Amino acid sequence: MGFRDTALLAALLWPLGAGAAPPPFEHHLTPQPVAEHTWMVEGRPEELSEDNGGDIANSAFIVTGHGVLVIDTGSTLAYGHALRAAIAGVTDQPVRWVLNTHHHPDHVFGNGAFPEAEIAALPGTRAAFRRHGEAFRDTLYQRLGDAARDTGLVPASVDLAAGERRFGGYPLRLLALRGHSGSDLAVLDPATGVLFTGDLVFHHRAPTTPHSPGIAVWRDDLATLAALDFKVLVPGHGPVARDPGPVAATDAWLAWLHRRLRAGAERGATANRVIDAPLPEAIAAWPLARYELTRSVSHFYADYERRYLWGEPAATTK
Amino acid sequence: MNSRPAPAGVLAPLVMVMLMLAALPVPVAAADDPLESFMWERYRARFLGDTPVRFDDRVRVITPDFAEDSGRVPVAVEAPAFDGRFQRMLLWIELNPIPLVFDYRPLSDGLARVALNVRLEQSSPVRAALLSDGVWYVGSARVEGEGGGCSTPGIAKQVDDWSETFGRVAARRFADPAGSRLRVKLFHPMDSGLIPSVDAFYVERVAFLRDGEPVARFDWHASVSENPELAVTLSGGEDAAYRFQARDNNGNEFDHGIP
Repeated sequence: MGFRDTALLAALLWPLGAGAAPPPFEHHLTPQPVAEHTWMVEGRPEELSEDNGGDIANSAFIVTGHGVLVIDTGSTLAYGHALRAAIAGVTDQPVRWVLNTHHHPDHVFGNGAFPEAEIAALPGTRAAFRRHGEAFRDTLYQRLGDAARDTGLVPASVDLAAGERRFGGYPLRLLALRGHSGSDLAVLDPATGVLFTGDLVFHHRAPTTPHSPGIAVWRDDLATLAALDFKVLVPGHGPVARDPGPVAATDAWLAWLHRRLRAGAERGATANRVIDAPLPEAIAAWPLARYELTRSVSHFYADYERRYLWGEPAATTK
Repeated sequence: MNSRPAPAGVLAPLVMVMLMLAALPVPVAAADDPLESFMWERYRARFLGDTPVRFDDRVRVITPDFAEDSGRVPVAVEAPAFDGRFQRMLLWIELNPIPLVFDYRPLSDGLARVALNVRLEQSSPVRAALLSDGVWYVGSARVEGEGGGCSTPGIAKQVDDWSETFGRVAARRFADPAGSRLRVKLFHPMDSGLIPSVDAFYVERVAFLRDGEPVARFDWHASVSENPELAVTLSGGEDAAYRFQARDNNGNEFDHGIP
C-alpha cells in the first residue's frame, strides 16, 4: 500500500479511528430545505470565535441528479467534514462540484473536506485567495484555536465565468460581481428560482466590508441582484428569504454607512467620533452593528476624508 | 504617597491627618493601575519619574476596541477638565517596541484634546498622562491587536511610492466652542528604523505658530502612523492665524498656513 493509499484510508477512517483524537469541534449542522432538491445550512450571526468553531457563514447545496453542487464550505476543515456528513444525510449522490462565492475565510476553508470534487471560483477570487490565504489561515488559528485544527490552504483550481454553465447537465446562471470582496459570485438557479448571493447580501447581520472596492460599487451590484427573477434568496449570512427584502436592507445599511462617513469627513470628525456616535435604531438592531461600523471606518474613512475633508480626488480603492 | 505602619500611640492624630488628606487629590499607588498591566510600573518610572501620579477618569483615552488596521489605529485624548491648566501631555503604548507616541507641550493655546493615528504592534494598554500642577493625571484604554483577516502588520508596514507625495501638508480649521479644531495631514513615511535596511526617518517636531511664535508643540516618535493625521484644539478663534510647522530627523522642514 503506497503512501497515498494509506493517507486516503486514514482520511476515510478519520472520524472512527480507534484512539484517534476527538474531532476539533462538534458542529451540529442542519440542512434546511429551501426549494426542490436545494438546501441551506445557516451560520450563526456572530464573529469567528472558539465558542462557535467558525460556524458563522451560510453554506448551501443543490442535489442536481448528476451529483451534488456545494456553494461555500465554511471556516474550517472540521466544518467542511460536518457539511459533507450533513449532505450524506439527505442524498447518496457524491459531491462533484464546490463553488466558492468569494475568498473570505468563513466561506472557503472547508474546501479540504471535498478532495474529489471540482473546486471552482471566479479568477479574481482565486487571485485574492493566493494573496490573502495564508494570513487568513493564521487568523483562523488565532481566533478558533483547536477548532481550526488541520485546516489547510485548499484553493479553488478551476475558473468560473459569468453566464450559463452546466454542471453535469444541470444549468445555473453565474454572475460575476465585485462589491463585497472585489470578486463576488452570485448563482441563480433558473429551475427553482433560488438566488445564492454570497456576501453581497447580509440578512439580520451587519455587512462586513474588508476588500470592498467601495460602497457605490456594492450598491450597483445590489441593483443588479434586485433586478433578477428569483423566488428564494440564500444570503451569505442570515436566514433564507422568500422576498427581496434582504437586498433592500443591505442596501439601506450601505446607504447609511455612506452618509455617516461622508458627513463625518465633511465636518472634520476624527475616526473615533464616527465610530462612537449614536446609531440610529434601525441600524443598531443589526447584530454586530458597532463592530462592523468600527471595521468599515478603518476600511473606508481615509478615502472619504480624501474626498470630503481634503478635497482630493477619490483614490482608486484597493 | 508612601504609607508606613505607624506605632499605635500616634494613630489617632494620623487618622485626622489622613481624613484631611482624603479630601485632596491624593495620587494613588502604581498597584492601582485599572488595567493591572505588568508594564505600567516600568513606563511610569521611565516617563513620569518621581512625580506623583493619579489615575483620573477625566483623562479619556479613546480608541476603537480593536485594531482593524494595526498600521493606523485612531487614538484620541480628551480631557477638557484640564484645559488651560496642564503643562504636558504624554501618550504611550505599553507593548509597542517604541512605546512613546508623543510629548505635547500645550504652551499658550493648546487645549487638552488631541487625536492621532498610531501603529500598534499587538494588543496593548494605551496611556495618556497630563501634568497639572505637579501631578500626572493618567487615563487608560486597551486596544486588541488582532484585527480581521486583512489586518496589516503594524511596525513593519511600509508605504510604497511615498516619494510622490512626500512633504505635502493639508490643513483645515473647524469652529469649536473652545476655539478652533485643527486637522492636519502630513505625507511622510514615518519609518521607525525597526525594519532591517530601512533607516529611521520620521517627523520628530511639530509646532503650531501664531504671529510667528510657537503656541503649542509636540515631540513625536516613530509609533505615529505613516502619513500622520493630527487633530488638535487650540484656544484661538477665527481671528487667530495659525501655521503648522514640522521637522523630521533628517532635517526636512514642513510649513503650512491654516486657512
